[in-house]
Amino acid sequence: MRTILSFLLLALTSVVAAISTSGNRLLVVLNDVADKATYSKFFADLEEREFKITYETPKSESLNLFNLGERTYDHVLFLPVQTKGLGPNLTPKALLDFVNAKGNILLTLSANTTTPTSIVSLLSELDITLPTDRNSLVVDHFNYDITSASDKHDVLLLPAPKPVRAGIKDYFSEDAGTKLIAFPRGVGAVLGNGELLNPILRAPPTAYSYNPKEQSEVVDDLFAAGQQLSLVSTMQARNNARVTVVGSAEMLQDKWFDASVSKLNGKPVVQTFNREFAKRVSGWTFQEIGVLKVNWVEHHLEEEGMPNDSNPEMYRVKNNVSYTISLAEFAWDHWIGFNVPESDEVQLEFSMLSPFHRLNLKEESHRLAAVHYTTVFTIPDQHGIFNFKVNYKRPFLSNIEVKDKVSVRHMAHDEWPRSYAISGAWPWIAGIGATVSGFLGFVALWMYSAPVAAKKVTVKKTQ
Amino acid sequence: MRFTRALLLFAAGAAQAASSWSFDDASISVAAKKGSDAIKEKFSQKAPLTKPVGLGSTDTVKVILTAKEDGKAKRPHQAFVTIKEQETGLEAPFTLTVKDTGRAVVQISQKDLPVQFLLSPKPLKASVVIGSFGEARAINTPVFDIEIQTDPNAPAPKYDAPLRYGKKPEIHHIFRADPQSPPKVISMFFALAVAATVPALFISWLLLGANVNHLAKALGAAPLSHITFFGSIIAIEGVFFMYYTSWKLFQVLPVAGVVAVVTVLSGTKALGEVQSRRLSKER
Repeated sequence: MRTILSFLLLALTSVVAAISTSGNRLLVVLNDVADKATYSKFFADLEEREFKITYETPKSESLNLFNLGERTYDHVLFLPVQTKGLGPNLTPKALLDFVNAKGNILLTLSANTTTPTSIVSLLSELDITLPTDRNSLVVDHFNYDITSASDKHDVLLLPAPKPVRAGIKDYFSEDAGTKLIAFPRGVGAVLGNGELLNPILRAPPTAYSYNPKEQSEVVDDLFAAGQQLSLVSTMQARNNARVTVVGSAEMLQDKWFDASVSKLNGKPVVQTFNREFAKRVSGWTFQEIGVLKVNWVEHHLEEEGMPNDSNPEMYRVKNNVSYTISLAEFAWDHWIGFNVPESDEVQLEFSMLSPFHRLNLKEESHRLAAVHYTTVFTIPDQHGIFNFKVNYKRPFLSNIEVKDKVSVRHMAHDEWPRSYAISGAWPWIAGIGATVSGFLGFVALWMYSAPVAAKKVTVKKTQ
Repeated sequence: MRFTRALLLFAAGAAQAASSWSFDDASISVAAKKGSDAIKEKFSQKAPLTKPVGLGSTDTVKVILTAKEDGKAKRPHQAFVTIKEQETGLEAPFTLTVKDTGRAVVQISQKDLPVQFLLSPKPLKASVVIGSFGEARAINTPVFDIEIQTDPNAPAPKYDAPLRYGKKPEIHHIFRADPQSPPKVISMFFALAVAATVPALFISWLLLGANVNHLAKALGAAPLSHITFFGSIIAIEGVFFMYYTSWKLFQVLPVAGVVAVVTVLSGTKALGEVQSRRLSKER
């Protein structure tokens, strides 16, 4: 009875639990409140995921990202605005302070409006480069939608993006099937070389970006082309705040959410994947997916006959030690165990100043909201203060960095092998035995012997 | 009848085929220095070059072609020569400067290429991409390969791959070697050699006339003291043996102290008896 009750309670708490791990106050900055209607399905999806949305225009004076030092919103969504700037409350510095305070930003751009200079400078702070003339359009004469853009080729059709290299967790292309993502009239960006920047959606190799006002005849000064153009770019700061730049705001509009499109040499009619893709991109940016947590860390001595209490503060040189870390991942509204992607590993570093060991942890067992990663290893033959360090930072996953400090002492005087076990010591032990028995014999002789009569030496007279 | 029907189908197929871009009069030339004589080779959409083109450190590759839409020379919006590196898939586009007449030219030298291309072990693949707005089908055809010839005198180009998060190579600490003993045979030999000195000692004592003739007399004179004294000397050796095998220091010290007291007390008596035998000229 009690178990049934506790299970019911557990189920109830998991339903009532907060949806995003970092709050649900969402600010939407748009040009005109009437624009809400063109994105109604997207906002309805967000409200279904329990976000409390506030709609503001950049001209509104009551808009403030901070109040008395705390953030007033957890996430900000920017739709394209016609004004040159975003107002005094949304300066690039204010937005960077927002990111430093762990706020998330989802920024959308459009080829139809000139990008405000404050957004261009905000993105250049993050090493995401937009064309300097702020008016650009990505076209592709090979992968466009023939139903709606047969002449201008400005609606790109792309398959759902697979991870750019092995080992990255695939959040954006599951269950896509044959559906294509429509990218209408968007802006491509070029990402810097840093490790914090990751593209979600890259342009196909034949796409390129040009300025429709000045380069409508011929492209003389190319900004970027092919896979160097990032259509949906992300930056995850070291404090796990996320900034996503979606190159085309129009791909979030109702008319592209369940549209039918067709490619030049592809299947005749295909549905767009935009609704699900928008859900996943906003889910990643607003910390609903890709968030990791360490439940606990445990290490203990793994020697026969020795006590194995958890997390001791001292080990000895050359002890066998077992280390286990329990990881969980947030999946939309509840925590589940984190399964590391196929060719990737969670690694443990046992290090003093530099790692003495870097070991791959094996998945050991699965619990309700945890997966245990464990290994057994031998402590190096160096004494000192060591750290058990798990430093797991990957694209699209929040950072995990846990350090546990332990002392490693030398062998104690009675932990060395005994001399009778060392074959080289046998002559010396024999020597001790010889000395002892000789001494005892001498004592007995000295105390209990009678003097021997000296042989009379007869001196023969020599003649 | 059959012939005309086939002809009709063929004509219909040709008419159905969408208009498409193409290029013509295409040639590639490699000049050692700007302006000097060049090796020129022609290629076309259907006949790409079979041999790779060598590009040295001071060479310039010049590609000339005429872009055509449906056979008529026209200026396309997109005219690129895209060079792809095979190992990593990295691509670099080079825009062709196109005149109104459709004549397009581009010059590429090693300094225009990204440094990763100069370090590639395989030849680079170049393709021509021509496309524009409207119905005409765009083309993307591979046309030639480029082989980079680096200057042996100049320092090799350096490329530091940027940091990317991912798993790092495993490290296993290499332990110092355990201390080793010499082969057991040698140890046994020397142990036996040492142990052999004991019987040698006893035998030499016997040869010199060792005896325990006064044992009965001593025991008769002071039995308890002698037994206790000799016993306590053996006991001290026993304490050392226990210390060697299992006891700790503070278990040994009290016992050794007790045995020492016994030795001293019984020793005075026992050695006094020995002294008495000495004074009576028996020793």
